[in-house]
Amino acid sequence: NRMKRARARHKPCALKELEVSVSELGLGYESDEIVLFRYCTGTCETAIRNYDLSLKNMRLKKKIKKEKVRARPCCRPLAYDDDVSFLDTYNRYYTVNELSAKECGCV
Amino acid sequence: MILANVFCILLFLDKILHSPASGQDPHGWRTPVDCVRANELCAAESSCSSRYRTLRQCLAGRDRNTMLANKECQAALEVLQESSLYDCHCKRGMKKELQCLQIYWSIHLGLTEGEEFYEASPYEPVTSRLSDIFRLASIFSGMDPATNSKSNHCLDAAKACNLNDNCKRLRSAYISTCSKEISATEHCNRRKCHKALRQFFDRVPSEYTYRLLFCSCKDPACAERRRQTIVPSCSYEDKEKPNCLDLRNMCRTDHLCRSRLADFHTNCQVSFQSLTSCPGDNYQACLGAYAGMIGFDMTPNYIDSSIASITVSPWCSCRGSGNMEEECEKFLRDFTENPCLRNAIQAFGNGTDVNLSPKNPSLPVTLPPETEKSPALPDDINDSNTIYDTSVITTCTSVQEHGPKLNKSKEHSLCFSETLLTTDIMPDQKTFVDQKASGSRHSARGILSGLPFLLVKLAL
Repeated sequence: NRMKRARARHKPCALKELEVSVSELGLGYESDEIVLFRYCTGTCETAIRNYDLSLKNMRLKKKIKKEKVRARPCCRPLAYDDDVSFLDTYNRYYTVNELSAKECGCV
Repeated sequence: MILANVFCILLFLDKILHSPASGQDPHGWRTPVDCVRANELCAAESSCSSRYRTLRQCLAGRDRNTMLANKECQAALEVLQESSLYDCHCKRGMKKELQCLQIYWSIHLGLTEGEEFYEASPYEPVTSRLSDIFRLASIFSGMDPATNSKSNHCLDAAKACNLNDNCKRLRSAYISTCSKEISATEHCNRRKCHKALRQFFDRVPSEYTYRLLFCSCKDPACAERRRQTIVPSCSYEDKEKPNCLDLRNMCRTDHLCRSRLADFHTNCQVSFQSLTSCPGDNYQACLGAYAGMIGFDMTPNYIDSSIASITVSPWCSCRGSGNMEEECEKFLRDFTENPCLRNAIQAFGNGTDVNLSPKNPSLPVTLPPETEKSPALPDDINDSNTIYDTSVITTCTSVQEHGPKLNKSKEHSLCFSETLLTTDIMPDQKTFVDQKASGSRHSARGILSGLPFLLVKLAL
């Protein structure tokens, strides 16, 4: 079981999808309409660049102290899906943009 | 086998009965061609093309009677009745649909006698059935409209659409266009809204669009959602309700609107020869013709969110009809009190269809699947021209537009899968009957096309 979890944690960055109601998105809209929510998940170990290694070392050597830095690549959307429109419980239409990921990458 | 033979004979009989001028077609069979192709064939023949040019000149700006008074025009019309231009048809959502319809009406306006109440449809007869849609719908979504009786079917339909990329994209496109407020005075851009609605209904397979449009409801909230499907505040309602006959005249000045209305009249006209009140007991054809009017001047919708009675109507009334009151009421009743349309909507909501014993008996000719894709227009935003543009930016192109970040192989797989999808789930556009339907003998055709079905049923 632990092996399974470990392997899951080491899955490379990729797109996953979830069917959720618009209300569950927590954006303040009330609607029972189900939408497809695509998100990015996975690790980016293979995408570590010399930049990341150097930055890490600079921090270790206290050359960078106060600033906030991120010394490892992050699994994020490279592109977002088209707009999503829905009808809410009060029969008004809404359109939200950049709700869902379209392509993921380590950036 | 015997049945098939019986049917072939019936079809042949049907043909002979339909032939407007005997001897025009010595073989009895002519492969149906669309009007764009027929026009090409005519252009290749010098006698045909010169007659066609003459006829077009004859019809330009003149009514039928003055045209027929001219010998040359009459001769041109007679010759053209024997060319393939005479019985050509168009397909819904085909490439160059407007051009095809322009060619169709250029001949048929000269053939019809004045302002007919019902006009024959320029579109090919629909041979697919509702049951085909149900089968596909269950394959694609795993949700059978008949199974869970508790749920809100219109909400389920929205879910099914949202989970399909193509449906979601085109639905969001029309919703955002139709609900975008322009200014305090102008509620929305109706023209753009209609265009986006047409793209949705032309490009999304009917198992998605029909489910949104014809879902069955058990409570008012559901029925209100159904009424809201086409964003009626923009696409349907207007400040004033015009007179229905004025609206019809306006629709008839536009080739596409005129064709869609004629298609509705052909496929939803109440028939007393059939059990379902529909011509040829074909619900699918009626629902398709109804949906085909959405996005034009004659856009129909549910008049309220009542669940007891389903009443649809275009945005018009019979006030101010003068001495045309009766004709106006007759026109309006084809929407509001049409048992064929009502039965078709209810049958779709219940997931039932007419049980025809030999399933799809009318399929002697099956064309090889061929995807009809219109070229994508990158300048979609610029739609200042009044010419209808039925093309749409496909998934492929929209991906390509997002361009440089994406790698090539992904683009191709996306385009490919979408093409496959459209081929698979739109059988109604790929197959058609080799049935010659005469243009002007429209009312007779309605009865006769039902005849083979009835006789086959009797033979069983």
